Amino acid sequence: MNLKHSVLIGLLITVIALITWEIYWRNQGFTPTLDDNEALWAVQRAKVDNLSKEDVVLVGSSRVHFDIQLDEWEKKMGEKPIQLAAGGCSPLPVFHDIVNNSSFNGTILVGVTPGLFFSTTFPKAQPWAWPQARVDYFHNRTYAQQLNHFFSLPLQNSFTFISETEGVDGINLKELLMKVHINDRVVDPMPPFHTFEEIRLDRNVRMLKRMETDTAFANTVKRVWKFFMSGEGPPPDKKATMSFFLSDLEKFKARGGKVILLRCPSDGYLRDFENNVTPRATFWDELVQKANVPAYHFEDYTQLQNLTIPEWSHLTADDADIFTNEFLDILIKDQVLNPSKSN
Amino acid sequence: MLFNSISFIVFLIIVLALYYAPILNWVAKKRMLLFSSYVFYGLWNPPLVILLWISTLVDWTAGKKLAIETNNRKRKLWLLLSMFVNLGFLGFFKYGNFLLENFTALLNTIGIEFQARPMDIILPMGISFYTFQTMSYTIDMYHKRTERARTFLDFALYVTFFPQLVAGPIVRAQDLISQFYEAKKATINQFLWGVFLLTIGLFQKVVLADTLLSNTADDVYGAGKVLHGLDAWTGTLAFSGQIFFDFAGYSTCAIGIALMLGIILPDNFRYPYAAIGFSDLWRRWHISLSTWLRDYLYIPLGGNKHGIIRMYVALMVTMLLGGLWHGAAWTFVVWGALHGIYLVVERLLRSKIHIKINAFNGVFLALLTYTLVNFTWVFFRAREFSTAKNMIASMLFINDGGEKIVPSFDILKVFVLITLLFICHWMMRNTSMKEVSLKTPAWVLGVVWGIMLFLIAISQGSGEQFIYFQF
Repeated sequence: MNLKHSVLIGLLITVIALITWEIYWRNQGFTPTLDDNEALWAVQRAKVDNLSKEDVVLVGSSRVHFDIQLDEWEKKMGEKPIQLAAGGCSPLPVFHDIVNNSSFNGTILVGVTPGLFFSTTFPKAQPWAWPQARVDYFHNRTYAQQLNHFFSLPLQNSFTFISETEGVDGINLKELLMKVHINDRVVDPMPPFHTFEEIRLDRNVRMLKRMETDTAFANTVKRVWKFFMSGEGPPPDKKATMSFFLSDLEKFKARGGKVILLRCPSDGYLRDFENNVTPRATFWDELVQKANVPAYHFEDYTQLQNLTIPEWSHLTADDADIFTNEFLDILIKDQVLNPSKSN
Repeated sequence: MLFNSISFIVFLIIVLALYYAPILNWVAKKRMLLFSSYVFYGLWNPPLVILLWISTLVDWTAGKKLAIETNNRKRKLWLLLSMFVNLGFLGFFKYGNFLLENFTALLNTIGIEFQARPMDIILPMGISFYTFQTMSYTIDMYHKRTERARTFLDFALYVTFFPQLVAGPIVRAQDLISQFYEAKKATINQFLWGVFLLTIGLFQKVVLADTLLSNTADDVYGAGKVLHGLDAWTGTLAFSGQIFFDFAGYSTCAIGIALMLGIILPDNFRYPYAAIGFSDLWRRWHISLSTWLRDYLYIPLGGNKHGIIRMYVALMVTMLLGGLWHGAAWTFVVWGALHGIYLVVERLLRSKIHIKINAFNGVFLALLTYTLVNFTWVFFRAREFSTAKNMIASMLFINDGGEKIVPSFDILKVFVLITLLFICHWMMRNTSMKEVSLKTPAWVLGVVWGIMLFLIAISQGSGEQFIYFQF
């Protein structure tokens, strides 16, 4: 047995196969991207414990994640906020965690996507379980996990094939195998859901340009929203969610913290659905009245309207820049937030 | 730290560089290995290293006293101290909540109203493994079956040696400590064979267990529904493969990493799914645990020296406790009980029926053994008895109209993979990977090696924890 020959042949095959694999996926239009996983989120969450009263933390779902652009915020306000919003998530578990497990007493901007904010407080329901999993990961992460994340970042940034993306755009072996179907024994009714954003180390998200130029691509995402809206999901639990939020809010206010509520734009079928299931008067307006904090609904400001929302829910990258600037101008005008003195 | 993580690869490279750099003498290398082992463990939860230290100190002291003490009563007390501390740790950290739950249930059953809040206890990773390993030293010292460790450093390294610290193999003192007495250095071939074993172990874990099988097993056992028989079988077969590849993968990595340092660890698996009967199975599955249970539980309970009834009782007690060792839940006890019953029935049959094993009846009996093993895995994997009951009923095709949740491709994938696994185990039954590799041309081995590395690279995601860490 000549293991020296074997190891050389093995390494050669591995290197050639990986280079080929990488080139293949790049030719298919994939690029190296960071994964918006729990480890990346936890890095940002850890920063909250060291923030000052002047700092801002963003919590919410994908709309705040897409629509608030951290670079624009930094240009205008002098400091970047911490981005803790995440897709499909209710903001309540993360808000609860910051209020109860940190001493932060600055400003928390809470994104209110009605279908998620008022959805549930049931721990196993997805809008709650997903953000709670991130919170739990942060509190339980080991040093080994932190090291893994640290070492994996340059690899994620360099190689397309290193990807945790799930679903139709997943390209690791497990995801590729999950896309193989040989008959209809079990049918997944959900339409294919493409990734349509790219994320940075600071968790700033920007919509891919393809969403603006490729209507068919945008339509795939619209079909997914329609699928979610057409299902017989549980009705919103306004009472429980509002009571949970208001209780944490009082606690946060009592220690000097400030909260801003933000309803980001939506459009088309999705907006109609939201107006129908979670009408503004009985959900948003009631929340604002009970919370008694600065609150901003896009419908109340012409400058926050008529922006491009290719798939009815999130702004294009350029319009997210505009939205962020306009929204900050409103906050500054209302003296809710002030640019830092160094800016 | 997990073997299937990038931080471990970096850690291993640093350890190997320090180990083979001509800057440290052997004692310094052992100190470095010990320190690295604490880092390896501490990166998971630093304060729990203290448990390792306590276990090490107690058993070192007990071993030292047992080596010189002649008074039998005092010798027994030293042994009891070691067992009290190690089993105490195990009892508190692993079984604390289980005991509390059952105590509460018992009181409620007899009409006493009592509610207890579950204790917030972290299960220290690998505690079942290192406590059993260090106890084996003290018990062997008590029975004068092993020599006292020459230095505290050798003993501490024996308890903490990172390749096998958290999931075995559970190594006996005489097999490992003596290897630390003289400078060790792997030959080039040993080193490369160690790298090959590490690759195979990672391939088993990352590609076969996590990528190809875990989803199906998780979906089936997490469905919370009465399932179609085919789905129940697919999920159980997937789990049988997953747990084998997960655990054997860890052991193979551990053996490979130790070999890269010139240290030889014993085999922990010998193609168990080709076992003919359950005695054979336990000579092939988790060998270091089954021999531990045999030597430190079954034989002290009487073994086969005190008549048939006592032997069966000893066997059942050993398997029940073996089940409980795997997890603090009654489902694990049932798993152990089933294995105990299988062993008892097998011995009864062997005393009545004598079969000459040949290739044809051998395959049939191996398949029968594997089928019966799958029924035990149901209790091992199911979190509740209701799930286990539904799964067993579906596997026996008693449930009418169970739901279909596994896609056809997944069924095909699992059946093909498990068939290949069984064939591979059957063909390898009486040989070893080393023997086969010696007969294999270097280029073939290289191609296999390359394919495995490639598949590991394109599978690797966030890095799943090894199942046996929770035990």
